[in-house]
Amino acid sequence: MDSAIHAEHLRKVYPHAPPGVAALEDLTLDVPKGRIYGLIGRNGAGKTTFVRIAATQLEYTSGTIEVLGLDVGREARRVRASIACIPQESRPLYFLNVDEVVYLYLKMRGLDPRDARRRTNDALAELSLTEYAKRSVQRLSGGLRRRVLCAMVLASDADVLFLDEPTTGLDPLARREVWEAIRRTSREHRTLLLTTHYLDEAEALSARLALVEEGRLMLEGTPADLRARVRYPYRVTVQAPFPEEELRSYGRVSRIEGGYLVFAREQDARELARLALERGARLSMGPVSLEDIFLEVVGRSIEEDTANSRAEEAESEYA
Amino acid sequence: MSTRNRLRSLFTLMVLNGVIPIRTQPLYVVNLLASPLSFLFFIYIVSRGHLLLYGILGGMILTILSVGTSLQSDLTHYRHDLKFQDVVVASPVEAPTYIAGMALSELVYSLPALAVFVVLFVYEGWATPFTTVVVTGVLLLVWGFASAFAFTLATYFQDVRETFLFSPIISLVLTVLPPVYYPISALPAWAQVAARFSPTTYAAGLVQGAVGLAPLSFSEGLIDWFVLGAFTAALFLIAAFKARWRDP
Repeated sequence: MDSAIHAEHLRKVYPHAPPGVAALEDLTLDVPKGRIYGLIGRNGAGKTTFVRIAATQLEYTSGTIEVLGLDVGREARRVRASIACIPQESRPLYFLNVDEVVYLYLKMRGLDPRDARRRTNDALAELSLTEYAKRSVQRLSGGLRRRVLCAMVLASDADVLFLDEPTTGLDPLARREVWEAIRRTSREHRTLLLTTHYLDEAEALSARLALVEEGRLMLEGTPADLRARVRYPYRVTVQAPFPEEELRSYGRVSRIEGGYLVFAREQDARELARLALERGARLSMGPVSLEDIFLEVVGRSIEEDTANSRAEEAESEYA
Repeated sequence: MSTRNRLRSLFTLMVLNGVIPIRTQPLYVVNLLASPLSFLFFIYIVSRGHLLLYGILGGMILTILSVGTSLQSDLTHYRHDLKFQDVVVASPVEAPTYIAGMALSELVYSLPALAVFVVLFVYEGWATPFTTVVVTGVLLLVWGFASAFAFTLATYFQDVRETFLFSPIISLVLTVLPPVYYPISALPAWAQVAARFSPTTYAAGLVQGAVGLAPLSFSEGLIDWFVLGAFTAALFLIAAFKARWRDP
């Protein structure tokens, strides 16, 4: 597999982190070239730390990391020639117009004015921002500002793009527009490393995914690989009174509004579905979602903050 | 990045942070005019006009030093509040290009104030090829060290509010205590020694000497150029090795 990003035994301890708390611990990861790669995990899991290290914005403590075969520590200048990044919580310069944000960013990267103008117009059209082109960023909603940043980076000539939670604050329609623009960028054989909280987004976009928890890699692979690695790859919801004890013989059972959610192996899931139908219960059955996998691997919801956020608190304290 | 692309980046940054904000908020210019002109007015009133000529030269230096103060605030704000520095780091734009572009942009703001002082300079009959070269050289060095110092500090500040804390202290150390607005002989002996630790003392000495306001021998002039150049070089070296382009 040809790698765009390759990290080995990567470790990061922030200067003022409590003793023994690492933001990244022994992280080994391969991001293939020309694909969308999703990095998922809860707040403070280490996603942003990884992105900032790979994007040459942050030093690392030990291990190695290469972008396009170039050492991020020693050859940062050459790495930077081929990358672009939307940092988490970044905002466009508020005194610029929408098209100036994109156009001037491209010119700042060294693109000639004609190419920069063409790319700006294309990116604005792609993200339905043309009607706002001459509007000041100050007068845009938070979601539109985020879209402008997406347009800015997707319009660039970079081979590797880092998108750190690019769709935070966007409405569902705008999110899908950004997804489509991301997919189109990927079709240009560029690599996109995407971190997100939204598991549906990660699943919809990513060719491969990595699940990070407390700075460590928990799972890595295609969405199908991830499903294959969990104990119960199917979920069955049964909306009817059912003896809970009986359900337990099929797999792991949780109570939900008006019934039960059962995680089971494929054969058991089919058996349970057949039984439920015979008893006239309403049911649905399908492969587990990324959310289910996340819950099974991490044991907590993605919305809960991790203990590792202490390490990132140390980061914000110092940074 | 090729030299051509570096220049394109530099001028883009100048337009982005210097020209466009003035278009959207012209009061920025008034803000940078206010400080040196009010200082000049104050000096004129207190000295009953005797120190007006010193005030004109001091105003030029203060205007250029204000570039550093504004740069420090802008860089800190862009780094922490907008994450703009992270966007730039992860791009082909190198740190020296970024600092130079941003420092040029701040110079754009100060051009109207500088123009006022240049008019007064010419009006006083000081404009000769020699004084023009000296004043331009001095102001370029002041702009250089103020920008390098501002960038280094900005990469250490945690919040834009810290710049509000440091700016008055820096102004005090660089423009009020050193003899920028008055002759060094006006200071008591101990203060003259203390003033020698500020690069602006040498900047003021050179411009005051060039126009004939204060006596300056050839050898004293050489020493002043050397010290001012050394200060500037030292601050550039500190910026190159100690400023945080990539966070630790």
